[in-house]
Amino acid sequence: MNAQTAVPGTTTIQKKRIWTGTRSVAEAIKIADVDVIAAYPIRPYTGIMNDLAKMIADGEFQAEIVIADSEHSQFEIVKHASAVGARTFAGSSGVGLAYATEAIAVTALGQLPVVAVAGCRALDDPGNFGMEWNDVFLFRDLGWLVSWAKDPQEALDMTLAAYRVAEDHRVLLPHFIALDGAALTHISTPVQTPVKEDVAEFLPPYKPPYVLDPAFGPISKGQHIAPSLIGPEQRKLIDVSMKNSREVIRGAWKDYQRLVGREYSPFIESTLMEDAEIALVSMGAYTKDAIYAAKKSRERGLKVGVIRLRYWRPFPADELRRGLKGIRGVGVLDFSYSMGSPDFVGAFFNDIRSALYQSNARPPLIDFILAGGREPTVQHFEKAIGLVQEAARTGNADKIVHWLTLRGEDV
Amino acid sequence: MDYYTSGRRTCAGCGPAIGYRLLSKAAGPNTVFLGPTSCMYVANGHQYLTSPYAVPWYHTQLGGGGAAGTGTAAAFRALMSKGKRKVEDINTVVYGGDGGFADIGFAGLSMGMGQDYKRLLFVLNDNESYANTGIQASSTTSWGATTTFTPSGRANQIGNLRLKKNVALTIAAHPGVKYVATSSLYPPLDFMNKVRRALDSGGPSFIELLAPCPKGWFFDPKDTINLAKLALETRAWASWEYVEGTFNLSYRPKKITPIREYLRIQGRFSHLTDGEIEEIQRMTDDEWKYWDEMDKQKRIVLPWIAAPNVVRGVGFEPTNP
Repeated sequence: MNAQTAVPGTTTIQKKRIWTGTRSVAEAIKIADVDVIAAYPIRPYTGIMNDLAKMIADGEFQAEIVIADSEHSQFEIVKHASAVGARTFAGSSGVGLAYATEAIAVTALGQLPVVAVAGCRALDDPGNFGMEWNDVFLFRDLGWLVSWAKDPQEALDMTLAAYRVAEDHRVLLPHFIALDGAALTHISTPVQTPVKEDVAEFLPPYKPPYVLDPAFGPISKGQHIAPSLIGPEQRKLIDVSMKNSREVIRGAWKDYQRLVGREYSPFIESTLMEDAEIALVSMGAYTKDAIYAAKKSRERGLKVGVIRLRYWRPFPADELRRGLKGIRGVGVLDFSYSMGSPDFVGAFFNDIRSALYQSNARPPLIDFILAGGREPTVQHFEKAIGLVQEAARTGNADKIVHWLTLRGEDV
Repeated sequence: MDYYTSGRRTCAGCGPAIGYRLLSKAAGPNTVFLGPTSCMYVANGHQYLTSPYAVPWYHTQLGGGGAAGTGTAAAFRALMSKGKRKVEDINTVVYGGDGGFADIGFAGLSMGMGQDYKRLLFVLNDNESYANTGIQASSTTSWGATTTFTPSGRANQIGNLRLKKNVALTIAAHPGVKYVATSSLYPPLDFMNKVRRALDSGGPSFIELLAPCPKGWFFDPKDTINLAKLALETRAWASWEYVEGTFNLSYRPKKITPIREYLRIQGRFSHLTDGEIEEIQRMTDDEWKYWDEMDKQKRIVLPWIAAPNVVRGVGFEPTNP
């Protein structure tokens, strides 16, 4: 499956565009020559579908775009289109994702490489356009790969890589690309687009191992079974596919790097970590602000670095443990909550703590919860750095959860 | 040729299974079947991984029938129009129950009927209950039937108090719809011919098949076809076709049989009093006037039937203290 790209230097690079995250993803869907798209509106992901609908109406590329009656139908449509052998795309946000949960679950268990965007949004009620991760985290256990983009460029890159990884026969799992609502979906930055011809080798047409098509033969898929017969083995298949995906992801980004001439570390992006004593760990668009805060803190002599997870599933546990080697205090910028969890920490923090439990070095960890959609500022991140620095100095964090953007008493 | 064969564990006398067999014969080999969760999912699967389907088949979620058909048809059209697959006629047929199409998947079915995919057929096998979960009422369960969710008891002796939803008429209300029909397992060619006409209609199509269920309706398995016939002869069920805006009754009994004949061999109605059976007869007669009128006018007239005026029993009605 390894694509051999053209000789370095011969890649055709288009001029840079100034695009939002949603516009960038739409471009990637066009370049990937997706066959079936299912659309249903909910902010903030909707812009992708608006752009795709216009592209198709203008004849820029050809695809079936089905206007669904709900997110549940949306994800059922792409699941079944994928089973026939089509390359597919869907997306949603917030409670829309929650509504589609059943269809999303069976897509992974059916091993169908649907690619979808999750435009992160706070769950209702009350209606809230703010950014939270809990909508995407609904699917952390089900067998979907999840990558987390930081800017419109990476949103485009990750979409192309998602098809490549998901459709690999060693993986065959569906793939979410998470885009932080507003902070990425609606923010415009320069984007460089690879041309379709160059991508053809990186992303050849989808060749499924079997299809729901009379020309292929009478297969029955998703039959009701006796749990004692093959229940555990079916679950294990997903587990193994998820494990296999790590190697496939590494290969995909190596090839993509050659294709576009930009450097990518597949699983984690480390910034200012070479001499760092403490670190912030996060995902997504706000990592840029965290890096800015880290640079400012360095002017005051604090040796801070930032680690950004590019994949949430599979969780890059080894890379994170290596990345945090020798670090004396870690602050987690956490846009999630997990009500009633151990020590009342957030869902993101829980995975990081879980990964570090297997590490010999266990630095003090502090969870900075940014729930509810109120936008954090650089001052919030600087405050976080100060608290981590203090924990590193004493070797212990006396309060491990801070609701950083909360007004009033943080009990 | 049969494309729905052995390898299943449906009950003796299963109406939906007989319907599946007729459907598969009529649709032929170039067909993909999609099965929303129902008896036709659970009872057609087998713990030893046998399958009754001799054409491709894929499960879809209980509420996913409309979307599964749409997604499958969309994929075939996309792949064929983009030169990724040989162009040929492929039938996409979703065989769902009344729970799947009349209740949880009603919106999805409506969405599917609003698309423009050819050779996309939705067949509702209406056994008037959620049968594989143990016979619970759906919105197509007949008035007066006992189910495990609508038992006859001391306070409510009737059982199911909702009137049966006419799903096919709601589907016929979709603008530009090419083909909508109802059918019964008797005579078998009626259903098979309707399947062929539906697939050839040039758009998404819908057939509601009345499919008697020995387990849920409490009758002797030998009576399945007998009941399918009695449903027509007592006018408990109207078999009709609506082709590009033109309505036709498919079966008009020569001699009208009293509804009691249809009800008395079904245990689910055995608790009803003579007065209650009279009410069902009255509703049946009232409804037939509409079918008769539609057949004369060749277009749909929306039936309106008054619900029986029954005392629901102590404690059911709001009262001031």
